[in-house]
Amino acid sequence: MTHCTDEELTLYYYGEGRRRAAIARHLDTCAPCAALYREITDTLGLMAAPDEPVRDDQYGFEVWRRLQKDHRFEGFERFSRFGGFEWLRRVAAFGTFERFAGSGRFAGLATAAGLAALVVVAFLAGHAWRTSDVASTNVTNASNQSNTSNPANHSNLANHSNPENRILLASVADHLDRSERVLTDIMNAPAKSNISMEQQWAEDLLQTSRLYRQDAVDANETSVAAVLDDLERNLIEIVHSPSTISAADLEQLRRRIDAAALLFKVRVMSDELRRREEPPAGRALPQTSTRTIS
Amino acid sequence: MDASEATAVLARAREGDSDAFRVLVEQHSRSVFRLAYRMTGNEQDAEDVVQESFLRAYRQLGRFESRANFGTWLYRIAANCSVDLMRAKQARHDMTRAESLDETGEHLSADTPTPERLAVSDEIQRRVAHALDALSPLERAAFTLRHYEGRSIDEISRTLDLGVSAAKHSVFRAVKKLRVALEPLRSHQL
Repeated sequence: MTHCTDEELTLYYYGEGRRRAAIARHLDTCAPCAALYREITDTLGLMAAPDEPVRDDQYGFEVWRRLQKDHRFEGFERFSRFGGFEWLRRVAAFGTFERFAGSGRFAGLATAAGLAALVVVAFLAGHAWRTSDVASTNVTNASNQSNTSNPANHSNLANHSNPENRILLASVADHLDRSERVLTDIMNAPAKSNISMEQQWAEDLLQTSRLYRQDAVDANETSVAAVLDDLERNLIEIVHSPSTISAADLEQLRRRIDAAALLFKVRVMSDELRRREEPPAGRALPQTSTRTIS
Repeated sequence: MDASEATAVLARAREGDSDAFRVLVEQHSRSVFRLAYRMTGNEQDAEDVVQESFLRAYRQLGRFESRANFGTWLYRIAANCSVDLMRAKQARHDMTRAESLDETGEHLSADTPTPERLAVSDEIQRRVAHALDALSPLERAAFTLRHYEGRSIDEISRTLDLGVSAAKHSVFRAVKKLRVALEPLRSHQL
């Protein structure tokens, strides 16, 4: 057998390659090849796996939280709430395109048709939106002119004077009050206690919180959305903790709540919303918009 | 989570259920981090790879074939994200890296370590890390998959979407460069 190449010996080291038996026999008898192989094994022997930083059981959840904060993911998350591309495929499959959508050859054509339909719908929706927007702006302006002499507060006052908005503000305030009670229970729970009741409660609140937060984001109510976001993260922590919670886990939960000053924020926001839900007559209203939670 | 539960979660995630996707994230984050750290050798880079991998996975979930293994699919995404990140870093720091490689070469030959220093594993690790940093992104990825992850050449070619020959030669080039870079350490160990 001729001498072994570097490549052959590298593959041999990793248990791969052909002629393995022949190479093994050759290494027993050929000093230069044996020396070369020793060089390779010595080098690769130095390449111990690096010590990886430890990631605990909570790591997956931390990654999820980071993803939720990532604006690129947020877009997908919202998009997927409406069924992602599924509805578009349905549009494409509708009517005369249905028979094409099933066949691979025409699937692209069907999707293109779906996209064209989407453009038309978007155009019509945009047109309708502008029309209604102009109309509502006129109504709001008229209402503001009759209600106040302060132009800066026009839209706020219009919203405050809307009973539906005030009810919704009250709903968010109630939601914050209920959340505060769960958080307080957790802060005062004894170690190794069963928190399944609080978890169930937190889970119910979590669903509502998400809806309110999304509405707050849509309405550009950043401070309300921020508090609800903090609250949501902590509620998720509570929901995902073991029901019979250890002292260490409980301490970790409390530290997170403390670190976010969550109880304080929830109380302050609840008070703020209660003030805002009051009718505008007789006092100046805060500057922040309240056309928010809808 | 048993196989039927995993299939159900995956199906929900593919339909756009973000809660189901969260389950997948929580299940696979640590293994993705471990691979990313081995690939990049840097904690912050590894975190970036984890984030990017899950974003890509979410975006491409519609293309994922349910018969395939999600973990294997995600592993491929993470490996390729690592290569992309290393390439981007390399492009940004090409000049700096070229200079530091020159310095490394001088350092390794001029500053011959004493046996006492070699005994310190930190020093060995530092030099090994330096040698790995000097590899090209693809060489490093292929070497990591072969050496640390125990993947065969065929698996490496599938993971990195390379031909078998290209995967094999990436490993060979990496080993050759490491032999040169770590020669001073090796000769003192003998």
